[in-house]
Amino acid sequence: MISLAGRDILHGWGKFTLTGLGLGLLIGVTLTMGGVYRGMVDDARVLLDNSGADLWVVQQETLGPYAESSSIYDDAWRSVAGMPGVEAAANVTYLTTQVRRGTEDVRAMVVGVDPGMPGSPGQPGYLTAGRHIARSHYEAVADAATGFRTGDEIRIRRNTYTVVGLTRRMVSSGGDPMIFIPLKDAQEAQFLKDNDSILQQRRRTASNPSLNRPGVPGLLESVIASQSANLNVNAVLVRLLPGADPEETAAHIRRWLRLEVYTREQMEEILLGKLIATSSRQIGMFLVILAVVSAAIVAFIIYTLTLGKIREIAVLKLIGTKNRTIVAMILQQAVGLGVLGFMIGKISATFWAPFFPKFVLLEARDAVTGFAAVIVMCVLASFLAIRAALRVDPAEAIGG
Amino acid sequence: MAERLKRGITIEGLRKRYGSGETAVDALKGVDMAVSPGEVVGLIGPSGSGKSTLLKCLGAVIEPTAGRMTLGDDVIYDGKWKIKDLRALRRDRIGFIFQAPYLIPFLDVTDNVALLPMLAGRSDGESRKRAKELLEALDVGHRASAMPSRLSGGEQQRVAIARALANRPPVILADEPTAPLDSERALSVITILNAMAKQYETAIIVVTHDEKIIPTFRRIYRIRDGKTEEMAGRGPGLLEGEPGLPAVEA
Amino acid sequence: MRSGPLAPVPVTAAAVEKRSVAPALYGIGVVESGAVFRVGPTSPGRVREVFVEVGDRVEAGQKVAVMDPVDLDQRRAAQEASIARLEASVRAASARTSETGARKEYAQAQSKRYDNLLKSGAVSVDAAEAKRQERLVTAAAWTSANADLQASRAELERAKADLAALASQKENLDLLAPAAGLVSARASEPGTTAVAGQAVVEIIDTGSIRVSVRFDQATASGLRAGLPADIVLRSGNGRVSGGAILRVEPVADPVTEELIAKAVFSEMPDPLPPLGELAEVTVKLPPLPETPVVPDGALQRYAGRRGVWIIINGAIVFRPVTTGRRDLAGTVQILEGLEGGERVVVYSARALTPKNRVKVLETLEGMKP
Repeated sequence: MISLAGRDILHGWGKFTLTGLGLGLLIGVTLTMGGVYRGMVDDARVLLDNSGADLWVVQQETLGPYAESSSIYDDAWRSVAGMPGVEAAANVTYLTTQVRRGTEDVRAMVVGVDPGMPGSPGQPGYLTAGRHIARSHYEAVADAATGFRTGDEIRIRRNTYTVVGLTRRMVSSGGDPMIFIPLKDAQEAQFLKDNDSILQQRRRTASNPSLNRPGVPGLLESVIASQSANLNVNAVLVRLLPGADPEETAAHIRRWLRLEVYTREQMEEILLGKLIATSSRQIGMFLVILAVVSAAIVAFIIYTLTLGKIREIAVLKLIGTKNRTIVAMILQQAVGLGVLGFMIGKISATFWAPFFPKFVLLEARDAVTGFAAVIVMCVLASFLAIRAALRVDPAEAIGG
Repeated sequence: MAERLKRGITIEGLRKRYGSGETAVDALKGVDMAVSPGEVVGLIGPSGSGKSTLLKCLGAVIEPTAGRMTLGDDVIYDGKWKIKDLRALRRDRIGFIFQAPYLIPFLDVTDNVALLPMLAGRSDGESRKRAKELLEALDVGHRASAMPSRLSGGEQQRVAIARALANRPPVILADEPTAPLDSERALSVITILNAMAKQYETAIIVVTHDEKIIPTFRRIYRIRDGKTEEMAGRGPGLLEGEPGLPAVEA
Repeated sequence: MRSGPLAPVPVTAAAVEKRSVAPALYGIGVVESGAVFRVGPTSPGRVREVFVEVGDRVEAGQKVAVMDPVDLDQRRAAQEASIARLEASVRAASARTSETGARKEYAQAQSKRYDNLLKSGAVSVDAAEAKRQERLVTAAAWTSANADLQASRAELERAKADLAALASQKENLDLLAPAAGLVSARASEPGTTAVAGQAVVEIIDTGSIRVSVRFDQATASGLRAGLPADIVLRSGNGRVSGGAILRVEPVADPVTEELIAKAVFSEMPDPLPPLGELAEVTVKLPPLPETPVVPDGALQRYAGRRGVWIIINGAIVFRPVTTGRRDLAGTVQILEGLEGGERVVVYSARALTPKNRVKVLETLEGMKP
């Protein structure tokens, strides 16, 4: 049996391919949008995984340290480390800022970590080049997405750092690449201002008579010194002993230390439920629109193709072709268009996804779902054409 | 008369009314016709006389209002359709030739002809073989693998004829098959039809108002105001095996 | 299968070597002077004149500034007058003491005589009683006069001491450099008042210039006096000066969790580094015995433990290890868990699990981030 659909496609393969290309690009955009969403979720998940933490200890009444700013004293970690169930606790600071290398700058999340032996919470879990931070100042490990290489000199706020190592997929929930520097340098970067501000502040303090008393030598210096001290961090990351219950340890810390504590599940909920919720809704709406537009295009194309064959369909009906055969022809054409479009779409999406500035995650299950959706859409979209074809009166072929 | 009615196609008292009530139109008011296998008859009449309606009834695409139709040994209409699957009837037992060739543009010549046997259930190989035979017989065998758009008008028409014959239907309905053709080509088509009718024992009804070919028919039905009358034609047809010479009737 | 979760993970590998690791400690320090002399008045006064400028070199005992005497001379005169008055008081008290003393003697003798007479019945009991009474009264009067005399004498001594103090203060109007050094600050200008303890001139001992350097407590084990140190001044353009650790301070900083040490230059840089300039100090510790070592990038965590991934035929096995010390190039001692010669994953494109297969490449550069 001849495949009418196949022959018709072959006969007009140029038109069919072009249509498939257009549809395919549209599908590719749809798949990519889905990938953008998945990438955002993955960024959040990866952020939590890479921190190496089981618990996040932050300022009370905040959703920090990622969704909201949080500030706690940097000696709080000692009390946390002593809590039952805690294997290791480490201070960490987060600061999103522009980082300069030569004349170009890059937006990055600067993470202040304890420069001790690699493996403390907050430090990157694996490297792709170089080594971990060994000195207690002025060294950095950067994510490869910054474009930096080992040996580069980069400038963060007031100081210059040497990039000693590179990592991969260390990103903030917003998709900004991370740069790890020693904690003290990070505290200074976050809480100490630039030189002009410092001088102004000193002048202001010196002109304050209650702080600059002539009868008390050394008072002014002490006050200025205390203003320049930076005793805060954004969070304490906790790693639990094997077998320790996260919620139990968290409750302990909350009760005795009057700090807020989030477990891994709670952090994920905060990031996904609050931080990226709006963006994901936005993407969801866009996906719906794309799907509707794609369906409309397929419907229009198939309908036009069918209308162009109305006379042939009448003839076929007259000379004895079953309705079933004609419907199958239209359906096969629609589905064929869908398959071609999907293939082009999947290849396009795979091709251009790495060029996006933020991580685009194309998952196999999304491709499968997308394929099923495209086929269903093509079938539904062909109903209009099928209806037109069924309505054709074979008697039309006989003129007059 | 009795031999004629044995096979071929027979119509008795066929009526067709369009619409109902006051706006009803009686297109056919009692048509009688009989065509024997191998016979080529003409069906002439002015426009609006019910020619197309009659053709559509013969082709089982519209349902008559009353009357009786017989095809071969089967009564196909007797006040209502006696055949359940009209499409299969058309596919297997009625061949159609239209004013224009109406070949399927995306099938090559062979497949255009082979389509009907395939739809009837024959194997691809056998269908194509038969198609090629018909094409050879119609002298377009050398264009078997070309696409229809590449053929000349006359070649396309011959392919259309081959298609109509593909399932060896007992009756072929031809609707103005020579309308667009010049006299040489027109006579050529009629000659072919006569030859095919004889070879395959098919009854062929040719609806026409083409003056060029009317003289070739041995029998003509004239339809006027929904009724037919049989007339003797000038042409010898091919029943008697004589080459036909055109002769004009007044 | 080139991408996706089932694809092999690109990694680089290295063989575990057996080497000696020479750890080093790194800290940031500030240039300071061992001895800073803040020269100022011992009592409030007004600065009259300052003789030195910042950057001048001074000798020990050199007069660097002088305070205004203000009312010092008047006070001295007042004090001398006071002393004269007190001397007169003393004389008066002394006279009174003598007088009351004489009376006391007399009353005592009388009382004794009358007591004897009472025994022989020559006088009445009342009379003897009266003489006894007198004896007591005069004794008390004498005691009082004597006390007055002591008090007056003491006051006189005190006034004399005050006078001596005023005299030494006059001496102290001269502010002298206690030792040879460099003037680092002129804290008060002539005409300003300075309180006791406030510095008018600051002098540093250039010979005691050193770097006060802080080391993270967690990584500073092995720090002790005598170790060689490389010092790089922030303004020195990367030039390394040799030095050594002078001492480790007995008091650490519990707030910043740092140890404080003093490092000295083996040759004082010329020009002198300004006080307060930052310097990077690297202390080289003696090399440790040979052990298996890995680059620190090879250390990863899995299932709650720290270790390395060993490559066997394209598959990976996690080996927990115990680490020792690390040098500044990132080489880590492995004390337990490796023998040497094993092939371990150094850099990886992803966090690894035992299910992953790996593809060993020369380098991971050029991989899409």
